[in-house]
Amino acid sequence: MPGIITFSEERELGKQLLTPALELKKSLSGPVTVLALNDADAKELAALGADKVLVLQAAGGWPEGLSEAISGLVSTAAPSIFLVGGTLPGKHIGAYVAAKLNLAMVTDAKSLKVENGKLLTTRLLFAGLALCEEESVLPVVATIPSRTFLPPNAAGKAGAAETVKAETDSRVAISDITRAESSGVDIGAATRVVAVGRGFRKQEDLKLAQDLASVFHAEIACSRPVAEEEHWLPIDHYVGISGHTVKPELYVAVGISGQVQHMVGARESKVIAAIDNDEHAPIFEAADYGIVGDLYEVLPLLTAALKKK
Amino acid sequence: MKFELTEEQGLIQQSARDFAKEFLDPVAADLDRTGEFPTAIVKELAKHDFLGLHLPADAGGAAAGFVSYIAAIEALSRSCSAVASIVNNQAMSSYAIYHWGSADLKKKYVAPLIKGEIIGAFAVYEHGPTPGIGPDALTATKQDGGYVLKGTKAYVRNAGVANVYVVFAITDPADPKALTGFVVDATAPGLKVGPKHSTMGLKGCPVADVVFENVAVPEGAVLGTVKKGREIVTRTLALASIAEGAQTVGIGQTAVEHAAGHARERVQFGKPVGTFQAVQTLLAESKTDCYLARLALFNAAQLVEDGKPFETEAAMLKSFLARLGSKILLDTCQVEGGMGYSETMPIPRLFRDIAGTNLLDAPADFPDGVIAASIN
Amino acid sequence: MPKCLVCYKWTLDEQDIRVNPDDLSLDTSRAKAKISDFDRNAIEEATLIVEKHGGSVNALSYGTPDVKQSLKDVLSRGPEKVYWIAQSGAQTSDAYVTANVLAAAIRKLGQYDLILCGEGSSDEFNRQTPVRLAALLGLPCVTYVEKLSVEGDTIKATRRVADCSEVATVKGPVVISVLNQINKPRIPTLKQVLGAAKKPNEEIKIADLGLKPESLQPKSARKSVKGFVTKRKKIVYKEANAAANVAKLASSLAAEGLC
Repeated sequence: MPGIITFSEERELGKQLLTPALELKKSLSGPVTVLALNDADAKELAALGADKVLVLQAAGGWPEGLSEAISGLVSTAAPSIFLVGGTLPGKHIGAYVAAKLNLAMVTDAKSLKVENGKLLTTRLLFAGLALCEEESVLPVVATIPSRTFLPPNAAGKAGAAETVKAETDSRVAISDITRAESSGVDIGAATRVVAVGRGFRKQEDLKLAQDLASVFHAEIACSRPVAEEEHWLPIDHYVGISGHTVKPELYVAVGISGQVQHMVGARESKVIAAIDNDEHAPIFEAADYGIVGDLYEVLPLLTAALKKK
Repeated sequence: MKFELTEEQGLIQQSARDFAKEFLDPVAADLDRTGEFPTAIVKELAKHDFLGLHLPADAGGAAAGFVSYIAAIEALSRSCSAVASIVNNQAMSSYAIYHWGSADLKKKYVAPLIKGEIIGAFAVYEHGPTPGIGPDALTATKQDGGYVLKGTKAYVRNAGVANVYVVFAITDPADPKALTGFVVDATAPGLKVGPKHSTMGLKGCPVADVVFENVAVPEGAVLGTVKKGREIVTRTLALASIAEGAQTVGIGQTAVEHAAGHARERVQFGKPVGTFQAVQTLLAESKTDCYLARLALFNAAQLVEDGKPFETEAAMLKSFLARLGSKILLDTCQVEGGMGYSETMPIPRLFRDIAGTNLLDAPADFPDGVIAASIN
Repeated sequence: MPKCLVCYKWTLDEQDIRVNPDDLSLDTSRAKAKISDFDRNAIEEATLIVEKHGGSVNALSYGTPDVKQSLKDVLSRGPEKVYWIAQSGAQTSDAYVTANVLAAAIRKLGQYDLILCGEGSSDEFNRQTPVRLAALLGLPCVTYVEKLSVEGDTIKATRRVADCSEVATVKGPVVISVLNQINKPRIPTLKQVLGAAKKPNEEIKIADLGLKPESLQPKSARKSVKGFVTKRKKIVYKEANAAANVAKLASSLAAEGLC
């Protein structure tokens, strides 16, 4: 009875993984076992329908250091599917396990289904340009990005929890852990977003976008250069292929050209509006509504017009 | 018979395109506006070996061959032909000094030119009807230890920023065809660069007259043999004319691509303008002219590289470009209509630049004459 | 004086790929091939390290016979020698097969102090190969590196994971995957481009790697690929008067129930 194993070092993502896990369980026989890094996570996960929770007791340090230990646990349990939360550490761990156990791995599956004894997945290719459908032989590893699924509702009975000792890879020492300056805001969860791009000339000018955001009760996000190069906003505010994917009901892109590497993170928004002074900017092909104009002129006018409504 | 670049030539072309995209695209419009000599870009060009592309390895050059040089000039011109002009003029001076200069002259100037440490200029033309004739013709009078240069060279590219001038003077007014080449340091007393001419295009490559007020130069400044300078002029300008043809083709190509993009996206009366026959004709002719010109360009370059006679082919190239180079811009501007006419678009700059690439350095000053002569 | 090996992939330039609006199929006919973007960062990083500390850089790639087109390109960017493995049908190889092939080749080539890869390939962006290689070779692996420094036989790698940065210290040999922001790959000078022709390349035949047939059998197979297109209204207001545009946008957003 092989079953399904799930793991994420992040609690919320761990909970979300249970949704596809429980769904896949219907097509495969066997229990859903969750690997967790601490008792608090284990308790919440057990309550959401996991049949069993294994708490890894490790010396601490980076989750990637547990790759060998997790690989051993997965090898022993021999599940059909190992679902890993698609954070960067998760992808690292997933790939390690896949290599050690000679398995296929699907990175960042958007959907999963078992058909004819194989796992059918969809995922993005070519920097978000295309969606591909793949089938992989079982057993298989799959990573699932945050917010692809919602967590399941509480289950009837809580699964059993067990503690296992886990060795960390001693070859790599981790130090100088620095949290980048964070506003504490989770852009990924925002229902309305105003995103700023290179069209703004200086950091102080972002105030124009803040004013608009206040009228909409929106969060401020940005394109990659604004965070990574200009450092006008914290790193965790950027939307794009290596940053956040957002799914708000309204996404207003201001001074953003709309390259696919950015739009990949925004294109599942319900309504997209864009303001840019380049009529040929790709963003207008990716938006529902757009204004071609100077953002320095348009933003104050728009903010004022919306305040009146 | 192969119509493809070799792998090496293709890599050079690709490198030149990457360089142009990285360094020239961001500044082309500004350079056109300010006309300021792009010193930083010249340093990058030198770093990437563009300034010695055509010269042999023993001089410190990249020894790439003339076809590669032409491919590189065309690629640079697609982004910013003013910079290509600077490269061409630098190349003319380094080429002349390398091939005709004494060991001392080569040692003093060739490596620094290749490294972009100094800028070079090649001054042939004068205000008179032909070099050597007219009141301001540059004369070189023999004196103890050297010569005294007196006169004016007109419309010298890279003037003012150049550290060294390769100039051609007559030693005997009764024999105006017998030019002598001289390599003159810009710091030579009596050498005065006139005010920068405000040119229609190719801004950023400065153009000015250079006045020689009794400039004394030593014997060692003679380039090649006394009275045998004409062959240096003919050969260098012949190659330069092909290189300028590469500029014309590069500019034309950018215009065609820009207009094609416009035709695809601009919608009028419910359809992309590219579906209207009038627009299609303009684009088709422009693209065809550009394509044919490029074939002629690379054919001429290949002949040069093979050491075969090329003057007639180069003349035909220039003749074709003189008639049709500007037409490409007229037509692409027409395709883009009002938008194309606006300075926020590249078309006006390309229009002004392309006119400048047809002006100088035609073989024997009159290509059709050369072609006609070849028919008989 | 680290002995470095960079693994790279010869991919289609995704910028040139077009989506056919009628059936959403992909048109790759105009797509040129290139060294995958992040692999360029890896090559540049190895070159920088060797310029600073001495040592050597070799490159290794596995792909279809088209991989031969990449040799001069990669040699112009710093590596002294490139090893290549060409196999018809390699386009269907998944990360499982790719890692098996590369690991076997690396075992054959000998000991390297630093094996560098890009974070992921620009076409598939699976981000699996570097970790798989490390697992197969029994080496430590530090992923998502934005800064690398070598001090003797110790490597210090600054990782960027989500909004956190941390320093990983490890002794070589080690596999490192680098992020795009670690450096700016230089444009090769023309002499480097021409010099590439004189540098050696060596083919490694798959048959000589001693791999079992099942190691070369992909475990994932692609069934379909379609352009990802979201239907958008694409209504653009572009009057000369900004206030007019703003009024129209405000009405549209109100009609959508957003304000």
